[in-house]
Amino acid sequence: MKLLTRRALVVLVLSIIILLGLVIFTIGYIRDASTWVTHASNRHLYTNAQLMETGTIYDRKGEILFQTRDGAKKYHDNKTVRTAVLHTIGDTNDNIATGAQVAFKEKLTGWNIVSGAYRFNQRLSHFKNDLHLTLDADVCMTAYNALKGRKGTVGVYNYKTGEILCMVSSPSFDPENPPDVQADPVKFEGVYINRLLSATYTPGSAFKLVTAAAAIDNLEDIDTRIYHCDGKTNIDGVMVTCPTPHGDVSFEQALAHSCNVAFAEAILSLGASNLQDYSDMAGFNSSLMVDGIRTAAGKVNVSDAAGGDLAWAGIGQYDNTANPLCFMAYVGSIANEGVSVSPGILKGNIFSALIKPVTGKKRILSEETAEKLGNMMRKNVIDVYGEGNYQGLKLCAKSGTAQVGEDKAPHAWFVGYMDREDCPLAFVVVVENGGSGSKVAGPVAEKVLRSAVNSMN
Amino acid sequence: MSNYLESANQILNKIIALYSNIALMMGELKTIEFSDIYLLLIRWVFPVLAVTIFVRCVLPLLRSEPYNTVWGYLQVPDSIKIPLQHWENSIGRSKLSDIVINLPFVSRTHAVLSFSAGTWSVFDLGSKGGVLVNDERIVKSKTVKDGDTISLAGAEFRLLAPEDGPEQQENPAAWFSRFSHHFSSGKTLFMIFLFQFLGGIQIYFSMGQDANPKLLGIFLAFILLEASYFLFMMTYTRKYIELELLAFFLCGINLFVVASAVPDQIAKQLIAIVCGIAVFIALGLLIRDLGRARKLKYVFVFGALVLLVLNLTIGEVRFGAKNWINLGFMSFQPMELIKVAFVMAGTATLDKLLTTRNITAFIGFAGACIGALILMRDLGTAVVFFAAFLVIAFMRSGDLRTIAYACSGAVLGAIAVVSFLPYVASRFEAWGRVWEYANTIGYQQTRTLIAAASGGVLGVGGGNGFLVNIPAAANDLVFGLVCEEWGLIVALITVLIILFFAVLAVSLMRECKSPFYAIAACGAAAIFLVQAALNVFGSVDLLPLTGITLPFVSNGGTSMVTSWALLAFIKAADDRGRPDREGVGD
Repeated sequence: MKLLTRRALVVLVLSIIILLGLVIFTIGYIRDASTWVTHASNRHLYTNAQLMETGTIYDRKGEILFQTRDGAKKYHDNKTVRTAVLHTIGDTNDNIATGAQVAFKEKLTGWNIVSGAYRFNQRLSHFKNDLHLTLDADVCMTAYNALKGRKGTVGVYNYKTGEILCMVSSPSFDPENPPDVQADPVKFEGVYINRLLSATYTPGSAFKLVTAAAAIDNLEDIDTRIYHCDGKTNIDGVMVTCPTPHGDVSFEQALAHSCNVAFAEAILSLGASNLQDYSDMAGFNSSLMVDGIRTAAGKVNVSDAAGGDLAWAGIGQYDNTANPLCFMAYVGSIANEGVSVSPGILKGNIFSALIKPVTGKKRILSEETAEKLGNMMRKNVIDVYGEGNYQGLKLCAKSGTAQVGEDKAPHAWFVGYMDREDCPLAFVVVVENGGSGSKVAGPVAEKVLRSAVNSMN
Repeated sequence: MSNYLESANQILNKIIALYSNIALMMGELKTIEFSDIYLLLIRWVFPVLAVTIFVRCVLPLLRSEPYNTVWGYLQVPDSIKIPLQHWENSIGRSKLSDIVINLPFVSRTHAVLSFSAGTWSVFDLGSKGGVLVNDERIVKSKTVKDGDTISLAGAEFRLLAPEDGPEQQENPAAWFSRFSHHFSSGKTLFMIFLFQFLGGIQIYFSMGQDANPKLLGIFLAFILLEASYFLFMMTYTRKYIELELLAFFLCGINLFVVASAVPDQIAKQLIAIVCGIAVFIALGLLIRDLGRARKLKYVFVFGALVLLVLNLTIGEVRFGAKNWINLGFMSFQPMELIKVAFVMAGTATLDKLLTTRNITAFIGFAGACIGALILMRDLGTAVVFFAAFLVIAFMRSGDLRTIAYACSGAVLGAIAVVSFLPYVASRFEAWGRVWEYANTIGYQQTRTLIAAASGGVLGVGGGNGFLVNIPAAANDLVFGLVCEEWGLIVALITVLIILFFAVLAVSLMRECKSPFYAIAACGAAAIFLVQAALNVFGSVDLLPLTGITLPFVSNGGTSMVTSWALLAFIKAADDRGRPDREGVGD
């Protein structure tokens, strides 16, 4: 029988091949079952290709932003709120890929790999499938109104907890009456993109916050050094200019007045590799995960840049791009003593509340650097942007007016945070082709922050 | 520090929110029915039971212990006694002989000593040195009596009967044996009852208003059947019963599937299971005697050829294949039954195995079956037959080269078939890209995947699935159906049990009484394996979809009877007695 024992191994080999097939199927199942289950023909979840029932999406105060009942989708009662939170919630046809209806589909439909599509009781299951957002509908509405139909984005988050209060992207539309987007391609340019999460813009002078951090850490005489600005300087044949000559300025004043000439000099003594390191640390060239939604990644690459190009890169031009949310997170880390708390839009549960203090934090800047930079940003407001405009907010900020081409108005940036224990909020405002950062984006930020302060107290 | 305080604060808020939710829920509780609560709890029980039953059946069967029955001895004069542990023992110089005699004048495979109906015979396998019994040269074979001398080219032995009856050798119990000792078959059977009864109640509940108490009766009748089989076997034999327990478990799943998909066929299916068990017992008894089994082989092959001709002439076309015969009061699929004869046809006893490399007759029979299947347009079954043919042919000849030729020939043939038959080509076109054709040629596969995903690990509960509305859900897509209603774990266990049948067949080889049983067991195992692979992987798009049944689990009477008949071959290869049941008659 030894002979046949050996020959019988073919059967064993066949069994192993089939076992392997089962393993392959199981791996595929674990990986893709969540996709298979959302096919519109799945009668466990859909009737007439519409989701039958979903959990409800609430904002931080319990306002109902979205729900599905008996196959019909229902959004917030107020049209402006619907429009303002459109990019967070998503539209009916799932065109907005980062919207909650797509990103949290599993949670909303109640499917999970253990229980499948089983629900104990249709009505009771709603509680389990509900989604509580950290968003504040009122603040979002204020932000949308403040943008006045201009294209751009507004983001506000709590730099201590990471909770996003405001996420608004414009242009937008009312999801209950979706317009014919094709009919007006200029007006609805990129309407399905959540600009806070998925857009990248030239940062302009706002980027000086990154360069300044590098300078504070690496240039020993930065506190005493006086830079001289004639309004322009020639670096290896490339002109670096300021709108007006600033004369003799300290580094602090250079940031406040956004003096390109002084910064160009500082950057050249820092060198390309220093600038690259600090850019990477500030979150450029990588994306963030906002509760599982991947943001776009900003870009800074100065490996080939030298001289004038390097100088322009250090003041946020060259070919730098920044994602608004990632940049807001960097500003948040300045506010939070150099520690970045990853932004999120889902209210935590008990488990995440326990692990977030450990996992969601990352030190980006040293405590001293963050404090120094913060003081300089506070000075910016007091000396240049006008404390009177932001009375009581204890605002620390930096503007940016990003050049995007000869015939186009620059993008207006305004980033910063409130240095208040009761309202630890950081923000970003971008108005596309809006013009001057502090004059255009600043007032938007002011309105949104006041609304947020009201809402928090 | 402040972070942790803040976390604590958040936790507190969460708890308060949770309590307010519970208060809200209490208001809703009135709408809940008993059947809801039943499913909520019971769906956790099925996977646990399935895994436990699987483990409790598999471990005892896989105990690897030395063969414990000695049928006689070969005594070397004034020296050791060599135990004869099989009914057929090869003797020779080759390392692969059962009794190795390392003397230069002994041929590599010199002789076979075989035991049949109480007497021993010796076969000369055309050795150079020849075989002498009591100093008389034998021509081909000769009966050997107790005390006779056998001389193989001068090497002398004396044949001795075992001391009294077939003798038990002491069992050097391995840790593994001792560990699996503690699994009582009775408890395992009880778990199977529980699984089937709780599942039957769940399906009954799922039917709501239309529920028919007859359904519960069917499940109770099946449980009664299992219990009587168990009691009978435990009283009259001392063999392992776990193999049948596993088959019972699969039949239970089969009843679930039928009850959910085609409830009005469940009584018919129960009858099929009864017939299957009857065939299992009858076939087991018939092939117990090797001489009778050899004769039976020719009867079966003749019967198969008759069926084949009948099928080709009076067969009916259903689902695109002409593979049904209608007798008026019942209809059946002859090709299923022919599988049994096919496995029998491939078997051989050891003397034949070692002397004739010639398997022309078997090749002819296989060619007839596969050719007929292609004519019937039942290509899936043709693949099953071909795979079984390859395995059996290899077991017979041990010649990899021939197998390779056969395979390459088959591949060429398959290419030709695919290019000539458009509906086969479309199956291949959908293969691996079913989502692109989700509503056309990938319809069944995508619905299977959707159903499987909707079930999750625990399943949505028997009778609550939607896959039953898709054509052939209880046959070709049965894996998806089980996955949807009973969960991924139960579905995987179902396939693993069929895989295990094959692994068991292989593990029994070494201690098998005769190659006859060994080849039959491996042939049956090959059919089980290929059917399982084509059915499961076809429905989930790892292979092109074919209309092949999953043994024991798919709906269908002929398929059920055939599965039991094939299992009888694996059972026949298992000659071990349970160590804990010594003293019970055989």
